[in-house]
Amino acid sequence: MLVFRSEDHVDRWLAGRPRGAIVPITKVAELAEAWWWDRLDPDWRPHTLEQNQAILNRVGLTGEFWRLG
Amino acid sequence: MTPDDLAIRNATYRRFVELGRAPTLDEIAAATGEGIETVRDAWRRLHDAHALVVDDDGRLRMANPFSAVKTPHRVEAAGRTWYANCGWDAFGIGVVLRKDSTIRTTCPDCADPIELEVRANRPTDASPVFHVLVPAHDWWSDIGFT
Repeated sequence: MLVFRSEDHVDRWLAGRPRGAIVPITKVAELAEAWWWDRLDPDWRPHTLEQNQAILNRVGLTGEFWRLG
Repeated sequence: MTPDDLAIRNATYRRFVELGRAPTLDEIAAATGEGIETVRDAWRRLHDAHALVVDDDGRLRMANPFSAVKTPHRVEAAGRTWYANCGWDAFGIGVVLRKDSTIRTTCPDCADPIELEVRANRPTDASPVFHVLVPAHDWWSDIGFT
């Protein structure tokens, strides 16, 4: 999960390997906020797969590539 | 995950933030009043439950989004330098600390530095892009690679 200067840089780095998923950096920030928000809460409990899938869905990361289980 | 394991997990995260680095087994044993072997066994179970990551020698490797080792994803936040496990985790450090941050990494293609100011959990520069190589259902098959 890496940050690149642009999509052209991703393709050059991949050197012919298939792309995974390109995500705008603003969406990654949105995802990180939802995914990590409770991580230091004293009453933290592990997210279920369904909870994490719901977070991905909520920020618009849907489809087979983003299916957790 | 048992209540005892959860308490050790929470102490591990708390000490990570307090120390500004990964805590050792000894430090978590002292923080919780448990024995070193009890903490070691709990960390292994927490690793298996994807609640943190230990290396083959039983040392803490990740308390996501924090990395216990230096990585190419450096984050300045709360007056300290942290290391994240990946670009996504780099945004997570400011989120969990409830602080603005500066992410410093390099483009894997050209090695140029990328610096992202993050304010209220959003980057001020939206031009870089994020690439996820591994599909979500395989993320934990090799979390270090992911």
